[in-house]
Amino acid sequence: MSSRRSRSRQSGSSRITDEQISDLVSKLQDLLPEARLRSNDRVPSSRVLQETCNYIRSLHREVDDLSERLSELLASSDMSSAQAAIIRSLLM
Amino acid sequence: MASTSGSAAVEERGRSERKRKRGATGEHGEGTEAEPYKWRTRRVHEIYSSKLLDAIRLVRSGSPSASSSSAAAASPPRSRAVREAADRALAVSARGRTRWSRAILASHRRRIQAARRARLRDRTSSSLSSRRPFSSSASSGKGSKTPALARKAKVLGRLVPGCRKLPFPALLAEASDYIAALEMQVRAMTALAEVLSTVSASSSGGGSGSSSPA
Repeated sequence: MSSRRSRSRQSGSSRITDEQISDLVSKLQDLLPEARLRSNDRVPSSRVLQETCNYIRSLHREVDDLSERLSELLASSDMSSAQAAIIRSLLM
Repeated sequence: MASTSGSAAVEERGRSERKRKRGATGEHGEGTEAEPYKWRTRRVHEIYSSKLLDAIRLVRSGSPSASSSSAAAASPPRSRAVREAADRALAVSARGRTRWSRAILASHRRRIQAARRARLRDRTSSSLSSRRPFSSSASSGKGSKTPALARKAKVLGRLVPGCRKLPFPALLAEASDYIAALEMQVRAMTALAEVLSTVSASSSGGGSGSSSPA
């Protein structure tokens, strides 16, 4: 599998250095929304991981709420294929 | 590389993305956009919105007479079906390049096959027990991680589909792509909900083309 290949490629002894870890963690930190984590240098990696988990959980919740809203909207409206084409064009 | 925005910071991040991509994810780099910026393009948003619309229409046609009670609110099975359809459409939009997307599709396939087998044999075989095909990958490479980090990494591995036994760098790569994909999913579903509520409001109001805020 490609994952096995890439793992041997990245380090011979398959041991990750601290620098690599903090590198990856800072890259992850960049993805978190500003409100969660002010990007200064002294954020510990565990904090970034914690915020990542929280953020993913909140995104899951949002998706669940939206699914419920969409299912309600679906239940109340019939959708012909013509209406679907209109909706599709409205989304683009 | 065709970067979608011109700011220097994004360019720099794109370069470091490509460097790290070689090591962490091992992709045969054909991607024109650096990850996770591929989830921010207009094109993928449109592709996903279209798939999403098809998926939830299937859900609707799949259970028109399933609502036994006269409840006005959506029955929980239907909202879960919508959620799962949205997740599957998201996984398909990932084009099989990430572990989380393959895991979503694989678990769905397993469930369908199990249900089919149960129907054929007339037995209640719930084979949802964890039989992950990629659990064989060794969870080596923890390096010198502190226990706190290891714990949080495990929690993260449970949140991202199919990434429980992934080594740390691959897990972070999957998580960052997953987050970007989820954000796009939220944007697309929100837009679809807005459109649907506008359409249903105007159609129930009886107006033909009278509600179009230019």
